[in-house]
Amino acid sequence: MKVQQSAFILEKRPLLLRLRDALCAEFEYASVLAEDTTGRNYQVSRHSVSIGEGDDMRGFVVKALDKGRYAEYSFSDLTEQSVPAVCAAVRALLAADVRPEGLGANTYAPPAEEPTVFSGATEYETDPASVGDGEILDRLIALRDRGLGMDEAVLDFIAQMSWQRYTKLFLSREKDMIQSVMYTTGMVAAAAMQGQEVKQSYVPCSGLGGLEIMAGMERSVAPCVETVLALRHSEPMIPGEYECICSPETTGMIVHEAFGHGVEMDMFVKDRAQAKQFIGQYVASPLVTMHDGACSADQTATYFFDDEGVMAHDTVIIDRGVLKTGISDLQSALVLGTEPTGNGRRESFARKAYTRMTNTWFEPGTDKLEDMIASVKYGMLLEDPSSGMEDPKNWGIQCMVNIAREIRDGKLTGRIFSPVVLTGYVPDLLRSITAMSEVAALSGTGFCGKGHKEWVKVSDGGPYIKATIRLG
Amino acid sequence: MERIISALRALGVEQYVITEKHTDSLESFYVRKDLDLTRRADTTVQTVQVFRPFEKDGVKMLGDSEATVRPGMSDEELRQVIGRAWYAAQFVANPWYPLPEGVREPEKAERSGFGETSLAEGMKTMTAALFAADTAEDVFLNSAEIFMRRTHTHIVTSQGADVGWERTDVWGEYVCQCPAPQDVETYHQFNYRQPEAGELTAAVAHALDMTRARARADAAPKTGTCALVLDREQMRELLSYYVDRAGSGMIYQKYSPFRLGENVQGEDITGDKLTIHLKATEPYTGFGAPMADRHLLEDGVLRTIHGGARFAHYLGVEPTGSYRAISVPVGTAPMETLTASPCLHVAAFSDFQMHPLTGHFGGEIRLGFLYENGTVTPVTGGSVNGSILQGQSHMTFSRERWRSADYDGPLAVRIEGVQVAGSSEA
Repeated sequence: MKVQQSAFILEKRPLLLRLRDALCAEFEYASVLAEDTTGRNYQVSRHSVSIGEGDDMRGFVVKALDKGRYAEYSFSDLTEQSVPAVCAAVRALLAADVRPEGLGANTYAPPAEEPTVFSGATEYETDPASVGDGEILDRLIALRDRGLGMDEAVLDFIAQMSWQRYTKLFLSREKDMIQSVMYTTGMVAAAAMQGQEVKQSYVPCSGLGGLEIMAGMERSVAPCVETVLALRHSEPMIPGEYECICSPETTGMIVHEAFGHGVEMDMFVKDRAQAKQFIGQYVASPLVTMHDGACSADQTATYFFDDEGVMAHDTVIIDRGVLKTGISDLQSALVLGTEPTGNGRRESFARKAYTRMTNTWFEPGTDKLEDMIASVKYGMLLEDPSSGMEDPKNWGIQCMVNIAREIRDGKLTGRIFSPVVLTGYVPDLLRSITAMSEVAALSGTGFCGKGHKEWVKVSDGGPYIKATIRLG
Repeated sequence: MERIISALRALGVEQYVITEKHTDSLESFYVRKDLDLTRRADTTVQTVQVFRPFEKDGVKMLGDSEATVRPGMSDEELRQVIGRAWYAAQFVANPWYPLPEGVREPEKAERSGFGETSLAEGMKTMTAALFAADTAEDVFLNSAEIFMRRTHTHIVTSQGADVGWERTDVWGEYVCQCPAPQDVETYHQFNYRQPEAGELTAAVAHALDMTRARARADAAPKTGTCALVLDREQMRELLSYYVDRAGSGMIYQKYSPFRLGENVQGEDITGDKLTIHLKATEPYTGFGAPMADRHLLEDGVLRTIHGGARFAHYLGVEPTGSYRAISVPVGTAPMETLTASPCLHVAAFSDFQMHPLTGHFGGEIRLGFLYENGTVTPVTGGSVNGSILQGQSHMTFSRERWRSADYDGPLAVRIEGVQVAGSSEA
């Protein structure tokens, strides 16, 4: 089934066309983006049940170029009467000068546009909205009860599921595009005490589509509980450099945090990314081929066009170890003289568009996981990444990982270290990759920030990789 | 509001909270000293939380759910979204709890010093303050984002609340760059509810100095255990452990062992005893009840369990609302004392994090100063992985003060015995 278009946006479309025409008549360039997002979050734990809305958003943003300067105006409602007021607000914003003395301004040419008319929608099997809140909660409660019943040491077991559906309409002088997308994410998490510490493990699932995504959650309950029980006996990490095998989720975090942020080309514009100087050079092992793109995989960051009306790409960023290109929003591409790659994304209609990642991943290799583990003399299997932070200028890595399982003489010993901080220099880590497993997996339960804000849905992943990493 | 209340009545909803938030935000984006984009966001959103009493297996329950009401919704759509929330609430089987009473008061005057200022004037003042320290050639502001935001909040509840207030603040981020001897950058955030131009200029000046130091740092500290000095933004994050663990939800669900009247800083304290005050940054709770400053910890003893209505009722404590800001009395030791004996002072992390469930804190070191043998060496790289549970009995706080939007307290703290992963291998 195709995701339906928002009735609200379809109803507003004639007004939006009038607004687009009025803006285009007055300014060198103008665009209008309308967004209608709705969703639902469900969560159950031992002591709590909740049903909430997702990040429900509905509104509009216009972007206009006048005398080489860009301005944007975001607003919540559009009526017959407010069309002139929106034009006036944009005009006032472009005319106002909020700079103190001594500061300049950048100027831009209007973007070149090809005439484009587009309509697209992603597909789903089971519409969560049609299943009903009671049944979804019952399924989550069954998962929770199974988790809690597995061992008395389980302090809590959380089952969570959310779905999000949006329609976006983009209009400019040459473009008239509409898309509707739905994705679903879920997670089971278990908690247990180790002294005064609460240890947690989680297993995520996510995908483009509806309630069918939840099928994966049922298989996750037992592994989740087994892991948290093992974490009760974890030890503090012994700092050092180790041969590591990274799970696909951990690979994904390295791909995203360590390298992905560094090839966001708005960072090139600001001279904030070292990658700019490495185009055409080896930055990783020849085993590594890296993609980003809203159409590079079917996951939670899949869409047809970005928030600036640029069609989605599948960008090969690293090809067999060589850095080929970055990813770009429209305004950065204008400065750099490059093609935009469909990566201009907004947290919502109320926020600015930046260059943002989408589905970011390493291609799989040819190795078998058991051979990779068997090849480690002494090292760690890293699982359960929790967060990371980019450093595009200096290519430093910070990734927090929940579990390091000890490997000795090619075998997992059962010893576990937690928590773990991965650090290092990105090219050193990527060049140290000596094996990649034959299957890649992507996960899209998380959000990505730009700095510490501007949260957008992303997915990332890859195969198991073997690399040398500093752990602390 | 009237349309929403009318829809609630039509559905038979007797208990509800309606929150309307209107935000007007003026935003400037700079690359070096050039304005790259100007934005304005003028948005309104109303959220309606509905509460539905019912019985399940002979136990009295109170379910809740929420609906977002957007401008432009028709009456029919409004009824639908609130109806969906009302329907969902019957499945949310949480044991019953009473909803807090609210107050009906005239609109609160703007607390912030920006109250009399237009967003454009505030933007000019704070932008000038941001760039005022950017005068050197060897280190400079690479880019900056400045947001002047005025928010008007109006809460109406079934429990008698009808309150409104306005708040204006400035927030944003800036990146400092120093191209030589190594080309490095540092990332910083700011948030002020008063037009504290001098404080912003001073913060930028300090950040530029730290960036210059990072350009000279070329080695990671050695692996091992050492005393750690943390300062500025890291202070609020470090102490979030106590704020989070004192939350009613954490305590009721047994994620936190904290108990009122108990010493939660641990026994055998050889360092400073902790006192933390919760500061009300909004005049009312989400239920429209007045918020007050509270004592969280006094000399390491828990004085307040804070949080919303449900878990407070289960624990038999007063619902307090949510707190973001804290104040902490300064210590007695000058900064020179904190670094007088060997230690690692980390001035900037990639992303310093405190995990409230485990008490572990740490992050990658972007800039540190290694104090040993009478020398101070800038270092970069490696990571800190500490435990507040191990370090809390011997913390020493500086007598110098530091303030941000959600923290007012000692500039720095020294914690003994923290693990560092650095240059030497295991």
